[in-house]
Amino acid sequence: MQSLRIGLLLGFRQIQRASFWTTSLIIFVMMLTFLNLIAVSGVLVGLIEGAERAVRESALGDVIVTAKDEEDRILETETFVRELGAYPEIKTYSIRYKGNGLLEANYKERRDLSGERDSAAVIVNGVDPVREDSMTNLSELLVEGEYLNPNEEGYILIGIYYIKEYAEQFGDIFDTVSNVHPGDTVRLTVGDISKEFIVKGIIESKVDEVNLATYIPEREFRRVFNRLDRNADQIVIRTNEPSQNLVVAEAMRDSGLDGFAKIQTFEESLPKFLIDIKYTFNLLGTLIGSIGIVVASITIFIIIFINALSRRRHIGILKGIGIERKAIEIAYVIQAAFYALSGSLLGALLTYGFLVPYFEKNPIQFPFSDGILSADPESTFYKFVVLFIITLIAGFIPAWLIAKQNTLNSILGRK
Amino acid sequence: MNIIEAKNIHREFGKDDLITHVLKGIDISIAEGEFVAIMGKSGAGKSTLMYQLSALDVPTEGEIIVDGQSIVPFNEKERTAFRLNTLGYVFQDYALVPDLSARENVMMPLLMKGMSWEAAKIKSDSSLDEVGLKDKYYNLPGELSGGEQQRVAVARALAGQPKIIFADEPTANLDSVSGQQIIDLLTCLHKQNGQTIVMVTHEEEYAKPCDRIFYMEDGLITDIKNRTQ
Repeated sequence: MQSLRIGLLLGFRQIQRASFWTTSLIIFVMMLTFLNLIAVSGVLVGLIEGAERAVRESALGDVIVTAKDEEDRILETETFVRELGAYPEIKTYSIRYKGNGLLEANYKERRDLSGERDSAAVIVNGVDPVREDSMTNLSELLVEGEYLNPNEEGYILIGIYYIKEYAEQFGDIFDTVSNVHPGDTVRLTVGDISKEFIVKGIIESKVDEVNLATYIPEREFRRVFNRLDRNADQIVIRTNEPSQNLVVAEAMRDSGLDGFAKIQTFEESLPKFLIDIKYTFNLLGTLIGSIGIVVASITIFIIIFINALSRRRHIGILKGIGIERKAIEIAYVIQAAFYALSGSLLGALLTYGFLVPYFEKNPIQFPFSDGILSADPESTFYKFVVLFIITLIAGFIPAWLIAKQNTLNSILGRK
Repeated sequence: MNIIEAKNIHREFGKDDLITHVLKGIDISIAEGEFVAIMGKSGAGKSTLMYQLSALDVPTEGEIIVDGQSIVPFNEKERTAFRLNTLGYVFQDYALVPDLSARENVMMPLLMKGMSWEAAKIKSDSSLDEVGLKDKYYNLPGELSGGEQQRVAVARALAGQPKIIFADEPTANLDSVSGQQIIDLLTCLHKQNGQTIVMVTHEEEYAKPCDRIFYMEDGLITDIKNRTQ
């Protein structure tokens, strides 16, 4: 206890009397180390989280309802949808009918009937345009043309991956139609049924699921696909708060709705490989950040070592007048703790006060996502604890090395 | 009654063929309450002797009993505790902690003894008052003159009311006036408190107030002079 008191006094006084600029520089280094530890993995994980967020916002929502594994569609869809009204946490939802068809363009201008048709196999979504827009803001993703009007029929929205001019930047991987713009007529064929549609708009998103889709009103979908049972393929639900999705999903399952369909939260629906990538990126970021920790711990070691070495005589005298070695070691550990705490505190302030909100507003533009800075407070705390402990050790070792030297040799400056 | 009793003290430095024999079998006894000086030329071994008696160093051979305890077998921790509880030191060049104020420097050993912060502060202030530094409690060592710093060192040595005070050439870095002031201060405090003081000095003048003077030469005590002589 006495050693702790004296250690604290000595440590704080050394910090207090140290050069302002030297102290600031050390704290700055610690702050950079902290940022390195948080930001590198934060950006890497943020890439995936940004992509996840985009999928959540533009495609899947907070709760996803799909057909049970042994069924083709959601059973009793109308009953199911009526039940959704009982959940006040649900903000909006969209019912989707999905099917595959063949989209053909430029067939009217086609002269050589033996030549290849300008067609692409497409995924067709039958939606209520108003509900879908309230769910995914689809109307804001238009790069050409206009959004579907709920009162009109015979119009289609096409994702950019089906349009050659947009998709060719990715090489030849997508099945496309060429030279299609709003106002052009295309033909959708499903089995024996064909129907002409006027292209209303072209949509582009960071989410592949949207780029690789076409949208038509649900009534027309049911006619074209001969779906008279009104059982949908997917219902995507948005809750008032994203975090409410588990409560809603569990309540729906408890009420027996899972007898009609498979009910999953967004998180439950994530494929395992995505979770693995996130974990790997986090690990990778932490490993890169660890290099920073090593550099910082060496910096602290050198600073404390030089500091203790230059005060070797005073350390000897303190021991000479009866001050325990422990107290002297504590004094230097206090200094290291001060540097680690101050640097981390500044780093945390900068991270949560500036960087996270900044990247939230100005995401890093990646082709597949809007990269944010992911800084989960819990993992930040653990990283801080690791940084703190390593810094303490880096402060303790040089103090221990100097303080354990022979008292008289220290006083007399002998080796 | 002797508070320090040392027999056949040898101290060697170095290894193999390069051994330097600094103390060559010293016997010395110092009575409780005595003010003694150890004098001699440079290299005579006076400081080395003081380090052995004050538990700062371990003799190569011999036995030392201080305040009834044989200190030679002590380990590092026991020596530190012994120095804290029984001894006080005044070093040649003040040896104050530069980051601590005069008051805090004096408080150090008191806090280590387990005294509360408040009690240590009061005790420290009264010790500084005793050495004439009433208005210098908050000054850092760098803001004090050499004489004042040595007074703080004396106050630190006295504050814990140790049984023995060791002073290693306390006037060496001071001008003659400041040096004399320190000697007067030690003499006065010795009279007031009756503590045993062992002082190493090489100036006869400063040894005048001492009860006994031990003269050393080449690692041996060659003469002992009583004040009365």
